[in-house]
Amino acid sequence: MLIFTIRRLNLLLFTLLLLTLLSFSLSYLFPGDPLVNMTGQAQATPEHLATLSSQYNFEQNIFKQYWAYLSHIANGDLGLSMASHLPISSEIMTLLPATIELSLVALAIAMMIGVPIGFIAAIKHKKAADNIILAFAMLGYSIPVFWLGLLAILVFSIQLGWLPSAGQISLLFEIEPVTGIQFIDILLSDSEYKWQAFKDASSHIILPACVVALAPATIFIRLARTAMMEVLETSYIRAANAKGLTFGQIIYRHAIRNALIKVIRHVGLQFANLVTIAMVTEVIFSWPGIGRWLIESIYQRDYTAIQGGLLALSSFIFFVHIVTDFVYAALNPLAREPHHGS
Amino acid sequence: MAREKIYQEEEFPTPLLQLWHNFRQNPIIMIGFGSFLFLILLAIFAPVLTPYSSVENHLDKLLLPPAWHKDGDVSFLLGTDNLGRDVLSRLMHGASLTFGLSIIVVLVSTIIGVVIGSLSALTTGIKSSFLNHFLDVILSIPSLLLAIVIVAILGPGLENTLWAIIMVLIPQFVHVTRNAVTEEFEKDYVLASRLDGANSLRILSYSIFPNIIEKIISQATLAQSAAILDIAALGFLGLGAPIPLPEWGSMLASSIDLFYIAPWTVYLPGLAILFSVIATNLVGEGMRHALKVRKES
Repeated sequence: MLIFTIRRLNLLLFTLLLLTLLSFSLSYLFPGDPLVNMTGQAQATPEHLATLSSQYNFEQNIFKQYWAYLSHIANGDLGLSMASHLPISSEIMTLLPATIELSLVALAIAMMIGVPIGFIAAIKHKKAADNIILAFAMLGYSIPVFWLGLLAILVFSIQLGWLPSAGQISLLFEIEPVTGIQFIDILLSDSEYKWQAFKDASSHIILPACVVALAPATIFIRLARTAMMEVLETSYIRAANAKGLTFGQIIYRHAIRNALIKVIRHVGLQFANLVTIAMVTEVIFSWPGIGRWLIESIYQRDYTAIQGGLLALSSFIFFVHIVTDFVYAALNPLAREPHHGS
Repeated sequence: MAREKIYQEEEFPTPLLQLWHNFRQNPIIMIGFGSFLFLILLAIFAPVLTPYSSVENHLDKLLLPPAWHKDGDVSFLLGTDNLGRDVLSRLMHGASLTFGLSIIVVLVSTIIGVVIGSLSALTTGIKSSFLNHFLDVILSIPSLLLAIVIVAILGPGLENTLWAIIMVLIPQFVHVTRNAVTEEFEKDYVLASRLDGANSLRILSYSIFPNIIEKIISQATLAQSAAILDIAALGFLGLGAPIPLPEWGSMLASSIDLFYIAPWTVYLPGLAILFSVIATNLVGEGMRHALKVRKES
């Protein structure tokens, strides 16, 4: 386990280093002055620019510049947004939790729906149920998410009027941001309308979360189906069968656990996919998250914001990646040992 | 004149031909394949087939519903949009933009990716280890996010979007080719031709490529459905095709405001995207299934 941890941390460090290198080189790749792109000081006076340039080691060679950039990031300084003149790090701190909230709820929905259906499809392999589930899965991951979001708004918000179509919570409720994650903040607040606020926030999250969840859910269906089919062909299942266990017992006691482990292994990779979908969905549902902010920054040519947002979002995705790796290793002893001969 | 078969010759179909034999067993997948060919034809011949040009305005026929509606007009089969442009013509022109361009994007990135991938499969040691880690990092960043960043560097526009998507797709091809080539290099027939004195490049082109081409094609179909969705998504976000172009995603984006009064202007481009992605996915699915069947037999 120690070696496993060291290897993972090593990978995490390497990746973060590469990501900072990427975002550092972005300030040179974006149009305009690299120093302005990096700091976001679009209207700085020449004297101010000179101070900045010495702070960021811009007179020295590129390695010193990168080092200065790294130390600025380590101090939590990602520059100022060119559009709003607010520090990027504080903007990210208010926006990223909303995206985390949306994507975690969507991930939970996707797994709770996708995995059981996938197991059912594997158990009913080559029967009508399997084919119907597969056809549904094909439809689900072919549907363009922006179209699905619009249809969902039309049906559930406009025609049926069940759910609100935009925003994170009704503006009537005043919630003190503590952690940034809306639900926790509501529970922490001492407002007398706490439960109304909680209900309102949940009705706001249902529609976007379901839209985000659809495509990953269908991928989970396929992953769970393959995993279950592999498990059902192993010899320990045959042994359990020979012992005289009923089919239900085999599935509940042996197959589900082993198949679930295989599904969990892929959660990290699917999460990256899910965050992409969430970015587009945020635009449609006016969700105050980092995806919408990033896309707006492109319209406004706010290069500092794009740079910081990319760094924050991809580090977050990679962090989740590593966490799921650890969860997988904790659940599956086989993954902890290095593979011999590979 | 038909030739009699004189010798009892045993025929060995090429890997690609075997794949085709397995592929055409499933009728649903053949429907998907047919739709795929239909879309290709549409993408090529759209300018000849369409009844109107994609930007021609019919100012007396604004927001006409589709022909089956009681207010519809049969000369505008799928209705018109808010500027009186024929939706059917725009959708057909859009096929050559969204679908046709996605094929070109995939072809270009396949070629670049396969070349880099097979060259990198021949390298060993620290270079290949670094490349592996680097690919892992690139592949862990979501494709749309990466495309958005590249568009931010290059500036919005259809051409820049295509470059962005090509660059996003290349690492996947490098990864697949690299794994396939290294796997194939360990087999005995490669050793045999190496003993015959063939160099690595010759082994690659004569022995290995015919055996891994179907893996690359199957990856290409995956990449194509991603490319269609990404082109449309970038168009929808206003970063891709500019407004007058009938790209399906930007058509959708420009008619959001009309959603309630003219829902067909939103339904139809979405359905077109859905149809082309499903056709591509069916072809890919059939390919993977046929590969599996061939491996097991």
